[in-house]
Amino acid sequence: MPNALAIETRSLSKSYGCLLAVDALDLSVAQGSFFGLLGRNGSGKTTTLHMLSTLVRPSAGQAWVGGYEVVRQPVAVRRAIGVVFQESALDRTLTVVENLRFAAALAGLSPWIARQRGEELLKLFDLTEKRHAPVSTLSGGMRRALDIARGVLHRPPILFLDEPTIGLDVINRRQIWRFLHRLRTEEGSTLMLSTHYMDEVEGCDEVVFMKGGKTIGQGRPAALVSGVASFILEVETETPALFAQELTPRFGEPLAEEGRLQFRILDRDFALSHLPSHLKHITRGIHLRRADLNDVYLWLNRAGA
Amino acid sequence: MWRAIKAMIMRDLTRMVRQRGRLVSAMVRPLIWLFVIGSGFDALLSAAGTPNYRQFLVPGLLCMVMLFGALLASLSMVYDKESGVMRMLIVAPFPRYVIILARTASATMVGLTQALMLMLILLPLGYLADTQNVGLLVVGLVCTALLCASIGTLIAVFSKALDDFAVVMNFFIFPMYFLSGALYPIGQLPDVLKALVLINPFSYGVDLMKHALAARASPPFGAEFALYHDLLVLVGFSALALSIACYRFSQAPVFETLARMLSHRKSH
Repeated sequence: MPNALAIETRSLSKSYGCLLAVDALDLSVAQGSFFGLLGRNGSGKTTTLHMLSTLVRPSAGQAWVGGYEVVRQPVAVRRAIGVVFQESALDRTLTVVENLRFAAALAGLSPWIARQRGEELLKLFDLTEKRHAPVSTLSGGMRRALDIARGVLHRPPILFLDEPTIGLDVINRRQIWRFLHRLRTEEGSTLMLSTHYMDEVEGCDEVVFMKGGKTIGQGRPAALVSGVASFILEVETETPALFAQELTPRFGEPLAEEGRLQFRILDRDFALSHLPSHLKHITRGIHLRRADLNDVYLWLNRAGA
Repeated sequence: MWRAIKAMIMRDLTRMVRQRGRLVSAMVRPLIWLFVIGSGFDALLSAAGTPNYRQFLVPGLLCMVMLFGALLASLSMVYDKESGVMRMLIVAPFPRYVIILARTASATMVGLTQALMLMLILLPLGYLADTQNVGLLVVGLVCTALLCASIGTLIAVFSKALDDFAVVMNFFIFPMYFLSGALYPIGQLPDVLKALVLINPFSYGVDLMKHALAARASPPFGAEFALYHDLLVLVGFSALALSIACYRFSQAPVFETLARMLSHRKSH
């Protein structure tokens, strides 16, 4: 495995009985990069993260994390990674500080280093005053922050985050993302994230869209977006068929749902005034906006359907 | 790795101390046996010419406390689904069997703590007066607690759903207790029951405790096996059970079931 890669997989697959959860996945994640796994529930994101963090054994293919092979060198892999699960990995009966101390001891940190780093992280996440509170008394956001602090306490070169901000409000999400970006720039950590919040992966160096265990799209977010469309034309109308008939020859088949059509427009100089004027009379609303990763996801999903 | 093992054990013991109520209530069961059932049979047997039944019960009751304490402790701790701690453990940088060993060690300590608490109650009442060899008593306590914890661990790694404590109670704990010589000497039992007692490893813990606590008891109330025999079975069975448990826990399918269970979002 080349040195510059933090994570590499070759035809990595996992089947549970006859269900193929991950199907021949090939990934190359450069060191220090921010990598996003996107897809719906059941698309294989979590199984992929589980294989990479040595929790689940691949049925076929190979994977290297931090230069170590996941099946043959699981302990070395686990030494190189931090994992933040969807569900809390905290002991609710222990206090905030006790949880961090426990996590540090599991990673083999000395009590002195554990205390020092613990204090830093508590301060960063505004948890200093809660240090002696039992975890069960913390709010959801605080608990998540503590969980992330736990995951990064031993400064892992590679951090896996499985939908880390699910169920959190915007303020908490922002705070956590600020911290993760800092971790990347200051420590040079590699971040692999699974999520279905598209706005969280906009800062990614690379994203992979997964569906049914397969990759349906992969690349830099900006390149993926411009590959799908420059603009999305959204039309709300009571006569979608009429609209589709009129515009499909020009823009291609739209995405349709309940009286709402979405056309993708590749022409970067397109403006609403380019539309035939008679169409405007039969719409309830017409809207032109820049394409984003949500659109990439929707169109890839349609292509893969 | 030693730091991690120490932390795991300390955490389990911290939890035990915080659940003081559970510890105290664990004392109720042996005392009921001793003072209610024990007194009833003592009266009956004394009338028939065999006194001291209550005294006979003491080694078995200490073992019973460890059986319930250590076995249930290791059973519940191995698949600690609720606490989220298992998620921390399964990504920690050491081999997985270490989780099994650390948790068995702390379950052993939970069992020992309960036995010591019971001894603190029994000592002033004079029930431990026959103790001649404190060293042997310590060995007996540790070996029996370890055996019970190992059995709990073994059951835990082999069962898929452990929510059903009633099943474990009825299929493991009660038969092991009743068929062990804790409540009646083995010598006079019918052959079928005697065979069951002989294959029950817990019987040898009870017998070892009789060696330590009832060395001067008159027949049929004394120890019935040789000391080395008891020790060999206890240590051998614990080692075997733990080896199997460690091997099994490291196997992919068992571990994957756990990983999937831990990654499922709770429905509430």
